[in-house]
Amino acid sequence: MITLQTATGATPPQPRAGGPPQALGGHGPASARRISARSKQRLAAWLFLIPAIAYLLFAFALPIVYNVLLSFEQVSPATLSHFFSPGAGFSNYNFIINDPTSRDAIFRTLEFTVGSLVGQFVLGFALALLFTTTFPGRTLARSLIIVPWLVPLIVSGVIFKFLFQFQVGAINTLLMDVGLASRPIDWLDNPHIAFWTILVANIWLGIPFFTMLLYSALQDIPEEIKEAAAIDGAGPWQRLRLVIFPMILPVIEVTFLLGFVFTVKVFDLVIGLTGGGPANATQLITTWSYNLSFQVFSFGEGAALNNVLLVLAMICAPIYLWLSGDSLRRSSGVAP
Amino acid sequence: MSRAQRKLAQRGLSLLAALIALVVVLFPVYALVVGSFESTQTLFSGNYYWLPHAPTLSNYTTVFNEQTGHILTSLIVGAGTALLALVIAVPAAYALSKYRLRVTVVVVSSLIVAQIVPSIVLATSLFIVFHWVHLLNSYPGLILADGTYAIPFAILVLRAFFFALPNELLYAARADGATEWQTFRLILIPLARSAIVTVAVFAFLMGWGDFIFALTILNGSGIEPITLGIYTYLGNYSTDWGAVMASAAVALVPAGVLLVVAQRYIATGLTAGAVKG
Repeated sequence: MITLQTATGATPPQPRAGGPPQALGGHGPASARRISARSKQRLAAWLFLIPAIAYLLFAFALPIVYNVLLSFEQVSPATLSHFFSPGAGFSNYNFIINDPTSRDAIFRTLEFTVGSLVGQFVLGFALALLFTTTFPGRTLARSLIIVPWLVPLIVSGVIFKFLFQFQVGAINTLLMDVGLASRPIDWLDNPHIAFWTILVANIWLGIPFFTMLLYSALQDIPEEIKEAAAIDGAGPWQRLRLVIFPMILPVIEVTFLLGFVFTVKVFDLVIGLTGGGPANATQLITTWSYNLSFQVFSFGEGAALNNVLLVLAMICAPIYLWLSGDSLRRSSGVAP
Repeated sequence: MSRAQRKLAQRGLSLLAALIALVVVLFPVYALVVGSFESTQTLFSGNYYWLPHAPTLSNYTTVFNEQTGHILTSLIVGAGTALLALVIAVPAAYALSKYRLRVTVVVVSSLIVAQIVPSIVLATSLFIVFHWVHLLNSYPGLILADGTYAIPFAILVLRAFFFALPNELLYAARADGATEWQTFRLILIPLARSAIVTVAVFAFLMGWGDFIFALTILNGSGIEPITLGIYTYLGNYSTDWGAVMASAAVALVPAGVLLVVAQRYIATGLTAGAVKG
């Protein structure tokens, strides 16, 4: 999960930083007590925070640093019992550059991400617009639309594997029943089609996320602005393009940013649906890295590919931090 | 067309569009549930039935015979993840929202960046680190790993919630001589109960739905959550689709319960900015 701190309009109201005025100190025994109270507060704050810092160091900092080390080592099952393995220089990175499957996986991850985001945005935006209109059952529809978001990812993979089966799958059966296909389509075992299959499945997964975020942004547009545009004679398309779109652009940017971060790490869905096949036609960085590390036990090569993924994902970090802006520094209450 | 007619037409069109959208979006989950009540024979008949053709519970019998242990494992992992997330996140969010520390910027930035890190990167390293400290194939190991989904999320959501709590109550407690711990325990936690429940529920679902850490950190035998059980079914030589569908349907139950009985918690989780990743 990703937590969005800004721009959804959902952050709780911001209390004035600082709280009530603090004593300025420096006068007799009262200020001595004050200082000791403040240092107690400071100590308490640190005690509250230390488990989280320890966890961040253990579960994030250590693995990331260790992953960099691994990528310069020759790791095999025989060396696993030692924390450090023999050095390998840049050979793991050389492997990644020269291995066609790794290279393809990197480019395919980018295509997959762009394709998913475009599809999710178009459908999510259409649904968000739909939910701003009034119709019976709107609230129920809005709460049902988030169902794909609640399904464990591996279960989504299983569902689509079932639906996309060749001879007897529900999708082929239904397509042929309504006459959209004359013979079954080999969704999963044709290397040219399988990529589109994982793309469709992933777009489905992301629809609730795009819909929810864009809908809440559309909700925040004041009614008067839309009415004013209508009175000025703007048609629906003009209103959308010239009024609504510019107003929710910041949220669209955030949504794409988070969608990007979310999509480059997709793993469960593809493992469940195609396992990266047929003939590696749906290998993404994540699935191929898993294959390198946990199927052929070349942890060094897997780690090198992981670092490519990490760099790709981290491109977003500065923008994300920048968008989170004020909420980073914000704090209220006591000032130890 | 009169104004009233136009309004009616618009509502009709919107309703129609919403129905089509819902059918498309819900169809995969619906097909899973229907399929879980079909015999494998029906599933492979080449016909699609919108309602169970010859309803049977045999898939569920198979699942409860073979997967009960896995379901229990998933419950333990989900509960453990929720507990770990709360123990770490509630105090941390308090410190990051109600105290002024210089380190706040660094910690909150790290939490935001931590959410970007792909799990496969962590899984590869943690596999070797856990091998080294003997946490592979153990509940504590898996729960610690699953915390990587839940803990940054929990701290950031709770922190945003704590900002909205009035400081006056905390000051009053201190003025009455309460220690920092008493203020936290007796004032903050009761005030924040609904946010804490929301975060716990989401953390549970993250532990319950985890697949990648189960796949990598539990590479031996012994502990196997339901997500891994489903995957093992899929990999079998001749997939028993009926059993796969039923076990996948069982894996949906916690999320389904949440959707039905705790709608408002989902809303809170989502509007607090929870986004799957």
